[in-house]
Amino acid sequence: MTRTPLRPLARILKARAQGENPDVIERENLRLRHEQQRDASRNRAEVRLLILGFAFFVAFSAIGARMGIVATTEAAEPRSFASGAEILAQRADITDRNGRVLATNMLTHALYAHPKDMVDPARVAGELAAIFPEMNAEDLTRRFTDGRSFMWLRKVLSPEQMQAVHDIGDPGLLFGPREMRLYPNGQLAAHVLGGTSFGAEGVHSAEVIGTAGVERALDARLRDPALSATPLELSIDLTVQAAVEEILDAGITMMNAKGGAAIIMDVRTGELLSLASLPAFDPNNRPNPVLPKDAEPGDSPLFNRAVQGVYELGSTFKIFTTAQAMELGLVGPDTMVDADAPMRWGRHLIKEFQGKNYGPLASVTDVIVKSSNVGTARLALQIGGLRQQAFLKSLGFFDATPVELTEAPGAKPLLPARWPDIVTITTSYGHGMSASPLHLATAYATIANGGITVKPTLVKQTGPRPGVRVMREDVAKESVMMLRKVVTEGTASLAEVPGYEVAGKTGTADKPKRTGGYYKDKVINTFASVFPASDPRYVVLVTLDEPVETSGTEPRRTAGWTAVPVAAEITRRIAPLLDIRPVVEAPPLDQLTAVRN
Amino acid sequence: MSFLEYRVKFVPTGLRKVLHLNWPLIVLVTAVSAVGWLALYSIAGGRMDVWAGRQMQVFALGAVLMFIIAFVPIWFWRNMSLIAYVVSILLLLVVEFFGATGMGAQRWIDIGGFRLQPSEMAKVTLVMMLAAYYDWLDVKKTSRIFWVLIPVILTSVPTVLVLMQPNLGTALILLMIGGTVMLLAGVSWWYFAGVITAVGGTIWAVMASRGTDWQLLHDYQFRRIDTFLDPTSDPLGAGYNIIQAQIALGSGGWGGKGFMQGTQSRLNFLPEKHTDFIFTTLGEEFGFVGVLSLLVLYGLILLFCYVSAMQNKDRFSLLLILGIAANFFFYLAINLAMVMGLAPVVGIPLPFLSYGGSAMLVLLVAFGLIQSAHVHRPR
Repeated sequence: MTRTPLRPLARILKARAQGENPDVIERENLRLRHEQQRDASRNRAEVRLLILGFAFFVAFSAIGARMGIVATTEAAEPRSFASGAEILAQRADITDRNGRVLATNMLTHALYAHPKDMVDPARVAGELAAIFPEMNAEDLTRRFTDGRSFMWLRKVLSPEQMQAVHDIGDPGLLFGPREMRLYPNGQLAAHVLGGTSFGAEGVHSAEVIGTAGVERALDARLRDPALSATPLELSIDLTVQAAVEEILDAGITMMNAKGGAAIIMDVRTGELLSLASLPAFDPNNRPNPVLPKDAEPGDSPLFNRAVQGVYELGSTFKIFTTAQAMELGLVGPDTMVDADAPMRWGRHLIKEFQGKNYGPLASVTDVIVKSSNVGTARLALQIGGLRQQAFLKSLGFFDATPVELTEAPGAKPLLPARWPDIVTITTSYGHGMSASPLHLATAYATIANGGITVKPTLVKQTGPRPGVRVMREDVAKESVMMLRKVVTEGTASLAEVPGYEVAGKTGTADKPKRTGGYYKDKVINTFASVFPASDPRYVVLVTLDEPVETSGTEPRRTAGWTAVPVAAEITRRIAPLLDIRPVVEAPPLDQLTAVRN
Repeated sequence: MSFLEYRVKFVPTGLRKVLHLNWPLIVLVTAVSAVGWLALYSIAGGRMDVWAGRQMQVFALGAVLMFIIAFVPIWFWRNMSLIAYVVSILLLLVVEFFGATGMGAQRWIDIGGFRLQPSEMAKVTLVMMLAAYYDWLDVKKTSRIFWVLIPVILTSVPTVLVLMQPNLGTALILLMIGGTVMLLAGVSWWYFAGVITAVGGTIWAVMASRGTDWQLLHDYQFRRIDTFLDPTSDPLGAGYNIIQAQIALGSGGWGGKGFMQGTQSRLNFLPEKHTDFIFTTLGEEFGFVGVLSLLVLYGLILLFCYVSAMQNKDRFSLLLILGIAANFFFYLAINLAMVMGLAPVVGIPLPFLSYGGSAMLVLLVAFGLIQSAHVHRPR
């Protein structure tokens, strides 16, 4: 485009000569230039204007069409899909090993008030007091009218209560959604689950945090948003747990005990199929008991005897001494050892139960079968204190159990401060050192597992976890056979369950006084067993606190009369549930009758 | 200096300008506003004093402003463009640092009880600025990179300031207005193609990276995008408005429930029912037929703007009219698409209908500019 120069002098002079106004010419030039520009830009712009117009049209058509679609559809109530439900399930469910629900979430509501919005505070206070027995009408009226603008009334409402509050119809009463933890099985596995409480609370939601048990120990896992849809699978088998708790409860009643604990453990994986402690509580409404001053912590229903109860476990320890003696090659199962009672060691006199004497010589097997304190003590002295400590440590007796419970790390075994020979002797038959029933069950599982340590766990495992070999396999086998003989010939004859080859060891320990010394008539009875003896699969351990068996002429307080029958009943009930087939021996030929059809 | 100034003698002067106003446009704007008063009256449960009365007062004030602006020659407004633009940027800065906060964002300045929303103002001043820029710029330079960068910067400054409030909807509209004016001014298609490719490519890359090792955003950010794009997946949270809006629209059916009979909107199921979601009230009470009529009114407003622009031989006026029309259209389209669940929820009012003083005043001022351009067009 050639541009006419502005104010071309020639034209201006010419215009002047002709008497015209040069400014007009300049304006004319400018106009021409602008028109050229404009025409060029218009040509380009027109296409674009058409496109813009077309875009307007299309958008209008789309909106009109959509309007038509919306207008003709049936109005449907919106449904909550996946992500809507996600908001509610802020905490993962807990299930047993077969997927049955142990803990889940329920939507409830909290009640709060905006007293300044209330129409009639006095009436509201009266009606609230009628609905909730714990509320006081005068107190509420005072608090509604003292000028505050917000107050909490109740953390959780049942649907009926919520409806009743709705019916009061006051605009100053408001509900906030609350997700509540629900334990549909009530007291079942209460100590395993523990419980939850509300953390940070707001009007629209509240944080749910674990306060005890698995809920607290695995709180981070349960609250992980990425895993909230995946339930936490515990190793507990709900059916087994229910059977165990029922039998244990009946056993506690029959044996007049204060309480008790029972543990079922898979010896290969360390999974706890059942962990029961009675008396229990309802985790839905976790109590906060006020105990009398002189009460033991164990008197609280919140106390988990199986994990927190650190007791002297008595004669059940003897098998570790004989196993170590065999492992070290000092003796074999049939080696005769000195068991002449009583045995004097320094100032101390080691006696047998009820002053018996199994000596002067007894085989190692008989030491276990008859539960000889003296025989065990002699073996322990041969082993020596240092090696004994190392062995017990390898079985896990020196540390807290690694089970997934908040209570576990606090329950450390009580060890003697020093380890002179007398401690070696008493420890060999389970006195002087205290550990929890779970420690004992874990150690028995190690023997039953062929001498490879297992770790107790409450989380479902896919297979055995690597352990450390602490004794030879043949030693472990021999030990189990000795335990089997305790049942067939020894102190635990009531433990026999036909077909399931129960092998186990009883233990009776006097209860220590808080002031020092031991009670004469208060004992802890323990029976630790494994079955079936030929191929051990499960540990069954029962502990009773202060049992007395009174069916005979005089009260009996030995484990053989109290814990053993309870354990036998548990084994009888759970073995079929755990898919263990009874081994039925063929009857002798002369008892067979031939029948011909 | 534009071509306009040489044709002033053909432009009507004094009160004669009244005859040369674009009256159909004025009637249409008043009609749409009247529909808004009805809707506000209905939502308030048959009360004038809640929203409708105030809305009418604002309209009256705006109408006066519109006439005043219409009577002032368009070249005066063109010369004011730069000043107006700078003032609005300054106001945005003031809001950024001293503004009051509403609904989680800093949006307005309180001036003696009147709330000024500079982001609304910025939409009009941006159109004015860009139109003046392209009127000043030699047409041949339009597509040169330096001369393209200047309007890009002019658009970006208010966009970024509005985005910082944060107000995503208005920021997007500012960007789109800037783009529209540049498109109409004749910037080469290649620039637009390049920008669209770059933006599309970025979005594609971000979305494609999801679930891979080189994921560009966090998982929760992706979940937020999901909810933003499909609010119905969160019916109690982000999707609540949309679902309630669609229930209201759907329950209106073809003929509607009748004036003052809309239960969904009047029983408070709908938040923002008198502002961004006012369309649902109309849909419920007047049905498809009523809403379609409203759409026709809006369409006619745009058509008259379009025709006025086509008649106008002045480059500034043309760009100004179409820029304002585009602004109007984006408001409308985004709001309606949002209400009907076609687009994500961003806070955009429905022009002339939604309750709100700033938006109404600014729109009327903008239509005053259109009138001025129409009256003072070269003939």
